[in-house]
Amino acid sequence: MDGGPAAAYEELLEFLYLTPVGIIKFRPDGKIAMANPVAAQLLMPLSGDGDLSDLYALLAAVAPDLRACVEQFRPAAGQICEERRLVVRSIRKILTLTINKINTEILMAVVRDITRTVEQEIRIFDDQQRFRAIFDNIRDYAIYTVSLDGRVEEWNRTLSRIGGWEPADVTGAPISIFFPPDRAGQPQSTALLEHALQHGSAEFEGWRVRKDGSRFWGDSAATILPDHEDKATGFVIITRDLTERKLREDGLVAQATTDPLTGALNRRAGEARLDDVFARLQRSGQTFAVLMIDCDHFKAVNDRWGHSGGDKVLVSLVEICRDRLRDGDAVIRWGGEEFVLLLPNTSSDNALMVAERLRQSVEAARIEYNGNTIPVTISIGVGTADKADVRADQVVQRADEAVYRAKHAGRNKVAE
Amino acid sequence: MSATTVLPVGFASADLFRWLETATPDELDELPFGLVAMTHDGIVERYNLAEARLSGLTPERVIGRNFFTAVAPCTNNFMVAYRFESEPELDAVVDYVFTFRLAPMKVRLRLLQHLAARHMYLVVEKRD
Repeated sequence: MDGGPAAAYEELLEFLYLTPVGIIKFRPDGKIAMANPVAAQLLMPLSGDGDLSDLYALLAAVAPDLRACVEQFRPAAGQICEERRLVVRSIRKILTLTINKINTEILMAVVRDITRTVEQEIRIFDDQQRFRAIFDNIRDYAIYTVSLDGRVEEWNRTLSRIGGWEPADVTGAPISIFFPPDRAGQPQSTALLEHALQHGSAEFEGWRVRKDGSRFWGDSAATILPDHEDKATGFVIITRDLTERKLREDGLVAQATTDPLTGALNRRAGEARLDDVFARLQRSGQTFAVLMIDCDHFKAVNDRWGHSGGDKVLVSLVEICRDRLRDGDAVIRWGGEEFVLLLPNTSSDNALMVAERLRQSVEAARIEYNGNTIPVTISIGVGTADKADVRADQVVQRADEAVYRAKHAGRNKVAE
Repeated sequence: MSATTVLPVGFASADLFRWLETATPDELDELPFGLVAMTHDGIVERYNLAEARLSGLTPERVIGRNFFTAVAPCTNNFMVAYRFESEPELDAVVDYVFTFRLAPMKVRLRLLQHLAARHMYLVVEKRD
């Protein structure tokens, strides 16, 4: 420092004037010997009349035990209190007080204004509480956080409501337990997390697994949780149960593809199904058969029992067909009283056997209508796919020609 | 001027502002109370002898700095700095405590500002 002792003194004074914390030198009886400007600024609101001579008197309202703390402090020197919080309600400020005993005559105190820090803490705490409340009480969304390697960390109660999972089942478990495997045998969660890692977030819809092994249709959105350097530290996944919507949509699909009277596939949907099995035939040689079913003397049934009697017969025919069919077989209402049975993966012999049993079942059935039994028989034409076929309707055509022969042979017959 | 000159103004004079506007540096140094003359944005332009004796800071160190942030941060609050900032026409007396040379001292501050004038003034007088 230039300029000798006077300038050095001034330099030190300035240093203390500009120090951004309050510094106080006081005696064991509380008398303030020295204080820097920030100390005065922080303590002044505590004094009624601007008297800053006695620290104990100044802090009487916020730290009434201060004198006792100092007097009861036995060591010759040392820290009496550290960062003790003083809440000054009158001016809505929060100060901290640190006191060091230097010797029996001198004590040094540091006073800081931490109001802003505390406000920030309170805000963060409030945010956390609010987040907690949302996290725990949001009813329709299961929310859980997942580590980078796909293990469940935290989760909310909804996971137990929509999935039946309990804390012990879930915490630390791989999230693949919620997702059924895909066609390649991989859990769908693997793809979900990989996609989220690449794009920041990902949303997959599909079947999810409950604890009891049953499934629900859900939508899962995964978002990466970044750290302060924007590096992924894990994920948060939100799953909704969309089963009701799925069922409603499936219902709409059913409406568009089925015959409203009998519940059989309508002709358009049936033709699409035929095209599918024909494509499979061309691809892998998997054959199929078509049964063309025609209700015998249906006009006479309508004349005798009325149209609602005729309707009852058609509905019953479809029920009988359904009872005899395997999964994957389809009943199609082809026209008025004509039905097509589509039997994938079925040889000519087997198709004939199915047709004969069906014919017998219908003949033996007792279709009740208004207290009467309507006697019904059917004629069936069997068509089997041929490797030479180029279109699905060629198979239907053969079945159609066969049913014509069955009718011609006296009805209630099967023909090929 | 000699020390025996009777000044035409005191701390509480009604025409203190007008007198300060035309006073020479020597005349300001004659004042028995501290005086800081600042531009409207707080830059110190005059720092009289009485104020320098109270604070222990020389005018050379202080002039050119912002008073509220770089000379006396303890005044950077709603009682002093904020009033200068928010009241273009200001003549108010405030009881305050300064810690000149780290000893708390009760003072009375007079805050003077007229927007049309070049300076605003902080006048500092010791009180009991």
